[in-house]
Amino acid sequence: MLEGIFVEGLIYAIMALGVFFSFRILDFPDLTVDGSFPMGAVIMAISLTGGMHPLTGLLLAFCGGVLAGFVTAAIHNRLKVPHLLAGILTMTMLYSVNIRIMGNRANLPLLRVDTIITHVTAATQGLIPADWASLIFFVLVILAIKFALDVFFHTDMGLVFGALGNNEQMVKVQGVNPATLKLIGVGLSNGLVALSGAFAAQYQGFADVNLGQGIVVSGLASVMLGEFIIKSNRIGLLTLRVILGAILFKAIMYLGRYYGYYINMTPNDLKLIAGVLIIASLAVTNYRRIRGKAGTAA
Amino acid sequence: MIRLQNLNCTFHADTPNAKTVIRDLNLTVGAGEFVTIIGSNGAGKTTLFNLISGNLLPTFGKVFINGEDVTDHPEYKRATTMGRIFQDPLAGTASNMTLEDNMMITYKKGFKWPVISLNRKIRTYFKSQLVNLKMGLDSRMKENINTLSGGQRQALTLLMMVLSNPDIALLDEHTAALDPSNAAIVMDLTTRFISEHRLTTMMITHNMNHAIAYGSRLLMMDAGEIVIDVSGAEKAKLTVPKLLEMFSNVRRQAFENDEVLLSAG
Repeated sequence: MLEGIFVEGLIYAIMALGVFFSFRILDFPDLTVDGSFPMGAVIMAISLTGGMHPLTGLLLAFCGGVLAGFVTAAIHNRLKVPHLLAGILTMTMLYSVNIRIMGNRANLPLLRVDTIITHVTAATQGLIPADWASLIFFVLVILAIKFALDVFFHTDMGLVFGALGNNEQMVKVQGVNPATLKLIGVGLSNGLVALSGAFAAQYQGFADVNLGQGIVVSGLASVMLGEFIIKSNRIGLLTLRVILGAILFKAIMYLGRYYGYYINMTPNDLKLIAGVLIIASLAVTNYRRIRGKAGTAA
Repeated sequence: MIRLQNLNCTFHADTPNAKTVIRDLNLTVGAGEFVTIIGSNGAGKTTLFNLISGNLLPTFGKVFINGEDVTDHPEYKRATTMGRIFQDPLAGTASNMTLEDNMMITYKKGFKWPVISLNRKIRTYFKSQLVNLKMGLDSRMKENINTLSGGQRQALTLLMMVLSNPDIALLDEHTAALDPSNAAIVMDLTTRFISEHRLTTMMITHNMNHAIAYGSRLLMMDAGEIVIDVSGAEKAKLTVPKLLEMFSNVRRQAFENDEVLLSAG
């Protein structure tokens, strides 16, 4: 079970990194996530059942997510629609799109096809137990993504992303079009989310259009939990704490699912717990800020 | 360098609340000129800057920069030729990023590609530039901007602006939020940078002494119009009482005009 927590945590951490990118770096609360996560899952599922290699499926899922992000950013940029509404529009439309992608089905089992996980366990058979093989595989995947993001945020473009969420006027004064940046940023963010959905579908053995329901909330909860673990503004630690937050969040959810019955809790209560976690995080942060201010004034 | 042709700007046009903020304004600022702008609140000074920088679009009239009609260009495009500094010291920098990251962002104008330019050579260059500020910032390049004081932030913003190598500097009361000693330091840096980099400068100020002491030309704005425009020898002879007298003359005229209107109605 312990590997299960970690593997799921690591898979969801990819999504949480996407949420961190849009919410924290870009200051763009992007609800497209609820649609792009299952989109990644369904693109993966249809690619696998169509006989494609899992890596091709992952690439296609990532591209699908990027496109979904482009749509949200374009609605926001071109029509001057608030980001929340732009995200909700795309998310809602994606529900139909996702069913279309799967050929008018709402879910698709992946039990008889080769997924990236069966590839990994086949390659390591006899060397390490299957559970540990997938755990090690996902640790490597998340490290690769984290490292790529860290490098990206040190590039000139990455630095401007940092400034965009902080001071949009400064970006304009530098001769950079904020609309272009948002397009790229929201695109990349949803690409990560879709990638996470693609891995999740393979791990669970099915894709379902309802996979994404409330996923943005769990991503945000992961980001906020991470912020309690490490205090820093170094990008390497920022991405690390998102990953740790995602694992911690999964662990809390597991506790709720397996031991929740002691207090009469059912798995249906987990979304409530996720929401309460966010509210609690916000309340604590708020309390600290007020106290911090009082402290400096005195 | 900057030419404004019959510029008009009306807020809430075609509504009962319509308010004309800039009225038939014509102005040519030559290359290398240093223009100071004074005027009471609501005279349209900041709106004028917004129109030049492209933050606002004129109701009608045209804006030319370096001879090119930029009236339809968005702000980020015009920004490649101009730097702008605001009254708020927080406006020019990104608070939760480091000093060197901020300098890297503003070092080059225009679109940024995902390449890493911040290397040892650039760091050394930034350091040598920070030494010029004489604020000890050269040893704090890895620190967050929000650990800096308002004066340090504004001085840094000024440095970052000149490093990005613009032709035009628009300074909007950039010392007004600072304490007197920091304001003096930032003003010294301003004049030094302007002459070193031969910037065409427009500076809004509420300080009449500054308006007289600095620059080669003085504009006074009132109700969306330029009412006084002095330069050269005439500006050199200007004093605060004289400026006040000119100002009250303008004001009285405006008042009398209003009276005429009222009695005629």
